[in-house]
Amino acid sequence: MMIKCVIWDLDNTMLSGVYLESGSQPPPPDQAMVAVAAELAERGILHAIASRNPQEAAEYAEKATGLQFAAVECGWDRKSDAVSRIVADLAMAPDAVAFVDDDLYERAEVSFRVPEALVLSPEDMADAVGWPEFSPPVVTDEARRRGEMYAERRLRQEEARAFGGSRDEFLRYCGTRVSIAPATPADVPRLHELSVRTHQFNSAGRELTEAELAALTGSPAHRVAAVRLHDRFGDDGLVGGCVVETAEDGWTVSLLMMSCRAMGRGVIEALLAWLARSAAQDGAATLAVPCLVSPRNVPLRLALAGSGFRAAEGGTPEQPAAVFTRALDGPLPELPEWASAA
Amino acid sequence: MGVGGLRAGRRGDRAVRRGGGPEIIAELREILAEATGRAELADVGEQVPLFGAGVGLDSLTGTLMLRGVHRRFGVDVADEDLNLDALATLGALAAFIEEHTA
Repeated sequence: MMIKCVIWDLDNTMLSGVYLESGSQPPPPDQAMVAVAAELAERGILHAIASRNPQEAAEYAEKATGLQFAAVECGWDRKSDAVSRIVADLAMAPDAVAFVDDDLYERAEVSFRVPEALVLSPEDMADAVGWPEFSPPVVTDEARRRGEMYAERRLRQEEARAFGGSRDEFLRYCGTRVSIAPATPADVPRLHELSVRTHQFNSAGRELTEAELAALTGSPAHRVAAVRLHDRFGDDGLVGGCVVETAEDGWTVSLLMMSCRAMGRGVIEALLAWLARSAAQDGAATLAVPCLVSPRNVPLRLALAGSGFRAAEGGTPEQPAAVFTRALDGPLPELPEWASAA
Repeated sequence: MGVGGLRAGRRGDRAVRRGGGPEIIAELREILAEATGRAELADVGEQVPLFGAGVGLDSLTGTLMLRGVHRRFGVDVADEDLNLDALATLGALAAFIEEHTA
């Protein structure tokens, strides 16, 4: 399993000392750990903090290390709870995170309560850069900017908590822009990466190679769309896409995928509305999304349900996929005001 | 996935049946207000659609809602309801929970 986020302890792990026991001068960062973390960030791996310290310790660590942290949990409850909250907040699977702590007890506690997580000591981290778990096969520009985008996400969330209105009002307030356009050859590496990395919003549960995607973007019987997202907090780049087989009688979406970073930001609804409108415009009678039904992609099923798709059956061991369809003869969904299509 | 796999109910199936008890509804309102971060949803009507305008449940808030229901009632809605019809309204959700905890 590829690790997507490393959750760091601070005292005697990311910092070479104990924050609260160091008097007026907080301990300097452990340069070996910072170097490892910076190298992993270059590969698109995120970092987070789980520390028994006041919030200021994380702010200090962020400044002193120059690293960007996607999530911060400071407090005195169980480390396993902090790890679970980070996993939920980042919408990741627990087996996609590593936890690094110098304290044997903390490592044992996290191993016991979050058995899927990869639990490591700072000594282990020294050569972690060579491990396959930390070596994604493809590293795109989006991946390199991931740390920055998650830091923007933290700011956006803090504002959202203070905002109070509906989600749509908040999307407007953020100046959200979703753009949907035919995928170009330049989009292929990122689309391939999304097909590997996305789970919560992935209908097919199967990766598409760059060669397959390149062939599909040039195929007259298919449409491949790339979806981009930005707002005033930052540019998230290419966050989603789909592959459609455009047959005479109907459109079949053979792959629908979106980064979980874009979750809750009006992207998947925009893409589903665009699909329905484009299919209807193309004269298709039906729009079908065959979707593997698993506990991991429930968010995608929620999006399909919310956009008026229904399936007759599926999700059994014999038939793990269900075909979600939507009628195109009735009223069509409007493209949300924050979305545009080329 | 559960051993029996998923069943797809018919649309509207759940909207008409006996509404869940008022205690379940009250707890669901709390879970909804927490999932959406909007305290004003703590008094949403039990027949108000959760998807679409109004409440505007999406995949993020819907996931949080399902997690809250699972934690509080031990019912894994997504594991039992292919089309997530149980999330049509709070009334439908309460009836679903009642059915699956009986």
